[in-house]
Amino acid sequence: MSDIVLSIPQARSARPRSAARVLRSVQTASIFIIALVIVSPLLLLVVASLKDDRFQILADMGSFRAFWVSNPTLSNYAEVGHLSGELAFGRYLINSLIILVTTVCSGLIVNSMAGFVLACGSLKGRAIILSIVIALYVIPQESIIMPLVIMVSRAGMSDTFAVQIVPWVASPLYIFLFYQFFAQLPKELLEAAEIDGASFFRAYRSIFLPLSLPALATVSILMGIETWNQYLWPILVTQTDYARPIAVAIATFFGQDSIYWDRAMAASVLMMTPILGLYLAFQRWFVSSFIGSAVKG
Amino acid sequence: MGKRLLWSLVLSSALTATWVQAAEKTAIQVMHQGDPGFVAAYGKVAERFEAANPDVDVQFIYAPHDAYNEKFSAAVMAKQLPDVMELDAPFLANYVWSGYLQPIKPLIDKDLLDDMTESNIAQGTYPIDKDLYAIGLTDSSVVLYGNKKYLEAIGARIPKSVDDAWTWEEFETYLEKLSKLDGVKWPIDTFRGYGIKTEWITYAYGPILQSAGCDLIDRKAWKSGGTLDSDACADALAMMQKWVKNGWVVPQSAGTNQFFAEGNPAALALGGHWVYAEAAATMKDNIVVLPLPKFGAKGASPDGTWIWAITKTSAHPDIAGKFISFLLKDKEFRSFVASQSGYPGLKSFAAESPLYAPGGPMAIAFEQASKTAVARPPHPAYPTITSAFMQAVDEVFNGGDPKEALTSAANKIDQDIEDNDGYPPFGEEQ
Repeated sequence: MSDIVLSIPQARSARPRSAARVLRSVQTASIFIIALVIVSPLLLLVVASLKDDRFQILADMGSFRAFWVSNPTLSNYAEVGHLSGELAFGRYLINSLIILVTTVCSGLIVNSMAGFVLACGSLKGRAIILSIVIALYVIPQESIIMPLVIMVSRAGMSDTFAVQIVPWVASPLYIFLFYQFFAQLPKELLEAAEIDGASFFRAYRSIFLPLSLPALATVSILMGIETWNQYLWPILVTQTDYARPIAVAIATFFGQDSIYWDRAMAASVLMMTPILGLYLAFQRWFVSSFIGSAVKG
Repeated sequence: MGKRLLWSLVLSSALTATWVQAAEKTAIQVMHQGDPGFVAAYGKVAERFEAANPDVDVQFIYAPHDAYNEKFSAAVMAKQLPDVMELDAPFLANYVWSGYLQPIKPLIDKDLLDDMTESNIAQGTYPIDKDLYAIGLTDSSVVLYGNKKYLEAIGARIPKSVDDAWTWEEFETYLEKLSKLDGVKWPIDTFRGYGIKTEWITYAYGPILQSAGCDLIDRKAWKSGGTLDSDACADALAMMQKWVKNGWVVPQSAGTNQFFAEGNPAALALGGHWVYAEAAATMKDNIVVLPLPKFGAKGASPDGTWIWAITKTSAHPDIAGKFISFLLKDKEFRSFVASQSGYPGLKSFAAESPLYAPGGPMAIAFEQASKTAVARPPHPAYPTITSAFMQAVDEVFNGGDPKEALTSAANKIDQDIEDNDGYPPFGEEQ
């Protein structure tokens, strides 16, 4: 009798456990497949950059050969590296890095300050300003690009680094992101700082800014990607290789008559590497910021 | 202290001298597009030009092919037009009508002007005042490339001249036969991989419509309705749609080289003259160059390419003209263009290009220029014409109704012309 009593619960608990195991396996397999789909274009890019025949790259497309290279070579990277004069990729890469670092650093300062003032300051008409900031976000960039070109050319900024940095430092989206983050922090922090004699700016710099690492990481990555991938704007406002970024240089491989896939792939890998590095460096805070937003959301 | 002062004086004098020397140079700006080979070639020409003219500094403005028009618009708005600009021939009428270009004849070496082929003169001429506004070393054409092995296997007739071109019926019969032949994945590559961001669709498919008996626009009344949406055009586009539906055409996703890719999956290719060099390198004697088929009573082929013009705002038009003349005569540049199977736009360059000479592998392409070439509409509304037509073709290839798509395109074109009061003096009595 006791055997029967013991055996029934065992049988009941075994079924859910095996069902859970199957479910977990399905989940793992699904995640693996999704990850594969997401990573495959990246893998294809890297593999193609190691092939020495641009026609072979196209011939392999549409089959699994696209993900395999039998005789890998770095010749495409060497060719990209050896281009000089108007096509000097090293120069373009450095230009891109200068623009990226300056834009992101200035963007973090300006947008976080604006977000802090909106969230914690005692501005008159704060709600209206905030509405304007949000309204600005929905205006498509394409609709203001030509007036902006005229403005910067009249300001004598054409063909400079500044023309690729200054117009994009302040962004309604990032101001709003910072505003949201600072608005969620307890107001008591500011009051305590003021009681201790700290100025409004000091409270921002020494208390609120160090607490906003997730927001800083998120904005760094989003702003970094946006800046790094700028293509049309640099074409419109720059003339020479003096300040042009790498995205413009890669376009030379997409000619009217021929597309140089081999070198375009190698140059794209080179272009992708720094931004991937930026993401890996900040991804812990980036992810935590998103998790935080989701929980609070 | 005295020595330091002396050295400072010497250094500052040297710097001042260098600065003055640099300042004395006259700078001209040259806006262009092109692949890495051409970009490098232009750079080398500039070096040689500067060596021959030490008082001139040539500054290049590179604009990627797919963003060239946007860059041009930005330069216009910012009042930063270059001295010399490369432009796509069918856009010339729009640029001249808008007042951006100046007549080029007085600025170019006379021997070069005398050396131009008829189609080169045509592509650089503004139809209203009949003046020449641009010149090029090259022109262009599209031919039908064939894989000899496959064509022999289906017993296809090989035309020997433009007059002998395949008819519509012959062409479709061969496509069908090729579709059943072992080794052929697609009977024809129409280079859909170029997409709709380039001029390819209007440039290469427009002549199919013209050969079938219609056009993108009525070239006297300058009205598209009744012409582009005529039954002849709709039938021609329906024919192309059938090729796509039957799986005879290389899909856009397969890229732009299936004719000469490994294993030769495409048997025919409706391709530009520039395809020849690469195709011949991989296919050797297995390539045959054919004239474009006749889809109606007459044949039609495209022409026009990127040519050089001098802007009205140029402060140094004489130097700009001198640079263009130098570029077109430069031996090394010509040799580079010839190596890219460049289609001759100058008689002397044709003489240097055995590829296009009678009996040469591309002789048929050169023959087409004089017998069947139809320029794209030389009208200021051309940017709208090409954009509307490309969208219509894209829609049809993706299953849309040809008549509806062409009617919509014709309406867009006519609306643009109406919005601009007919772009006077176009459409007025000449």
